[in-house]
Amino acid sequence: MTVQAIVKPNTYFDSVSLMSLSTKANQIDGVEQAIIAMGTEMNKEVMKNVGLMTPEVEVAKSSDLIIVVKAETDDLCESAFMSIDELFTKKDTSKGKSEIKYSTIASAAQGIPEANLAVIAVNGAYAPREARKALENNLHVMLFSDNVSIEDEIELKKLAHEKGLLMMGPDCGTAIIGNVALCFANAVRKGSIGIVGASGTGSQEVSVRIHEFGCGITQMIGTGGRDLREEIGGIMMLDGIKALEEDEATKVIVLISKPPAPSVEEKVLAQIKQCKKPVVVWFVGGNEEKVKQAGGHFAKMSKEAALKAVLLAGAEENKLNKRALNIPLIEEVRAKLTPEQKYIRGLFSGGTLCDEAMHTAMEKFDNVYSNIQRDPNYRLKDKNISQDHTFIDFGDDEFTQGKPHPMIDPSTRISRFIQEAKDPSVGVIVMDFVLGYGAHEDPVGAMLPAIMEVKQLAEQEGRHLEIIGYVLGTELDPQNLEEQVEKLLAAGVTRASSNQNAGLLAREFVVKGE
Amino acid sequence: MSGDLGFIERINISSLTGFVHSTFRRTINIQCKENGELFTIASSQVDNGPNSLVINAASLDEFNIDVNEAVFVKNKMLFISNKLAIVIDKADKWESILPEYPSNTQNVIRNIKKMKEYIDNHGKAGGMKKKLSSQSPYETELSRLLEERTILLEKELLNNRLAHALQHAVSLIGLGPGLTPSGDDFLVGLFTTINLRNSPLYSQQSFCEEVVQRAKPLTNEISYMALKKASIGKVRESIIHLVHSILYGKESDLYLSLNKVLNIGSSSGTDIALGLICGLEANLRVGGQL
Repeated sequence: MTVQAIVKPNTYFDSVSLMSLSTKANQIDGVEQAIIAMGTEMNKEVMKNVGLMTPEVEVAKSSDLIIVVKAETDDLCESAFMSIDELFTKKDTSKGKSEIKYSTIASAAQGIPEANLAVIAVNGAYAPREARKALENNLHVMLFSDNVSIEDEIELKKLAHEKGLLMMGPDCGTAIIGNVALCFANAVRKGSIGIVGASGTGSQEVSVRIHEFGCGITQMIGTGGRDLREEIGGIMMLDGIKALEEDEATKVIVLISKPPAPSVEEKVLAQIKQCKKPVVVWFVGGNEEKVKQAGGHFAKMSKEAALKAVLLAGAEENKLNKRALNIPLIEEVRAKLTPEQKYIRGLFSGGTLCDEAMHTAMEKFDNVYSNIQRDPNYRLKDKNISQDHTFIDFGDDEFTQGKPHPMIDPSTRISRFIQEAKDPSVGVIVMDFVLGYGAHEDPVGAMLPAIMEVKQLAEQEGRHLEIIGYVLGTELDPQNLEEQVEKLLAAGVTRASSNQNAGLLAREFVVKGE
Repeated sequence: MSGDLGFIERINISSLTGFVHSTFRRTINIQCKENGELFTIASSQVDNGPNSLVINAASLDEFNIDVNEAVFVKNKMLFISNKLAIVIDKADKWESILPEYPSNTQNVIRNIKKMKEYIDNHGKAGGMKKKLSSQSPYETELSRLLEERTILLEKELLNNRLAHALQHAVSLIGLGPGLTPSGDDFLVGLFTTINLRNSPLYSQQSFCEEVVQRAKPLTNEISYMALKKASIGKVRESIIHLVHSILYGKESDLYLSLNKVLNIGSSSGTDIALGLICGLEANLRVGGQL
């Protein structure tokens, strides 16, 4: 006998439907027992008492619907789930809804034979199993889940590579495939530039800059943050480059990542050398010479990467608005800050956006600390206490354990912002506000009361506090870009036109004695 | 069209924004951002209830409203996205007010006896009422726990030891099949009787509040809302009618209103009715009339 369970998060069916579904599920051939109930602690206790507890049931919440099947074999369980799915589907159809919900990858693959990609966002403990099932059903995979072991990642990526499929992730939060934005991504124009990115917000930033320069994206393939590590060997980035090289619509390829492990960098550069299409490389803090030797186009920063890509794609340089830095503004702000106001505090929801701004500061200052610093000497000893110039990535694991990502829930950053603003040694606070699918519906609005509060406080204390805000988004995003920017301006915040400019402005505002 | 007085007032003063929490054929639940509570838009086939608005539509399917769609108030109209606009100026106002507990309880004792017999014959099994037909091991264990915990709760209530009853009441929350677990439904019935003005247990309302304080993580939001409202004596119109019939009604009234409650959900109505009986018997015992 085997017991298997499926949990449908936040799913509500009325009691009559649940009873009827439960009765029908128990009549399915081969099923010894089927239970459909809400995942309350008490119901879980009953299941435990009768030997029907599974890891899935254990983590279910009161608002989740649990379906447990006990049958002779795994195959019978699987087939029972498919039959139960059909019962649910009939229920949904009878309600006149067009959306069909499937509870297993196999039933979805069978129900939608034309599907070729599965987006998986389940608990990390079960994610490899689901991703494997999808690959076995010949589906490309975007695996949003994290907490997947390196061993599982290697195995999944090797399987995908053998089958000629994309294995995006684990921990892949951004992709645009066939002009459809998946998970956190912005609404950008369709075009001729393809991106392979190991960093989510870095890819978002470049895609948005490309859009602003008037060009567009063919595909944006995410690899997951660990792909370029020694153990994984860059399997997905290499397969991604190959996929874009074979894609007729793609004329230019952009690669985005933190610096790869040396052995992986070699492999990537070797593939760039062989690639027949121009490749722009933005590896944050990466080595220009090596990229040039491989025939690639090196970009030190995000806007530069986008600019090089659009020029290679045929855009005319003299028609582009490159949004140069506002030099008079720099002089004006420097004059307002006191000699004691020496430091930048970068409070970011996007990891690569934080990294880029931090690297910009590191070009002029030695004392740049962060929770994502690669140099352990400059890694913050306590993530809650800033030191000199500090850049915080609030999306890093240590801030998100048990909490939503700051792009969804800005509360942690808001309280830190108020804390930093009270520090008299701080001259500039720089922040990103990420728009797009999946992101907070009004990220600037959520921060506004705090901005007003600290502005007033600084004024009472007779000091000027410079706040720089960068809104990452396009006019096509579900949030209103223009409105978000207007809110910032109305609150007296300096708007940066790109993340690159945000980092440069922050740095230049606090440079003394030039 | 009719609606809960508080809900209508909230629309009148434009203090309701939120999103669609869940949708069913006959009801749509709205999560209110201002106070975190659920509000319900119900079809004309549903009775009035706390935080509910009953509209003139037999089914809500036709509106094709989806979970997470925006809800807001403008010009005293409630909007669900651009799919449904509800004008409330002609809505009949309804308020959940329970009847007073009578000084003469002979009618109550007689009606409870009849109610028990009726539920034995016509109540729906699968929750508090045991199934007579063969049960799966899961159903057997569920019935065992429901019965065991209800007996313990009843025992403490009949002896007016509400502090001891608390743990047994909490152990019922979230227990049972259905959207509103049987244990929750039973407690809704029980809470109703503790909130009857002039009843012997009326002074023990804090018991209900204490149970509800512990309920949130133990059940789903829809059922929690029903428990929360019942803990302060706010329940559906059909339950109020039934309580009135038990306290003051004739046999024919009783069966009419009991039938309406028994038709709630799958076994929910039966579970609520059994909770009412439990609470009324406790009231009679504590009042020295049983």
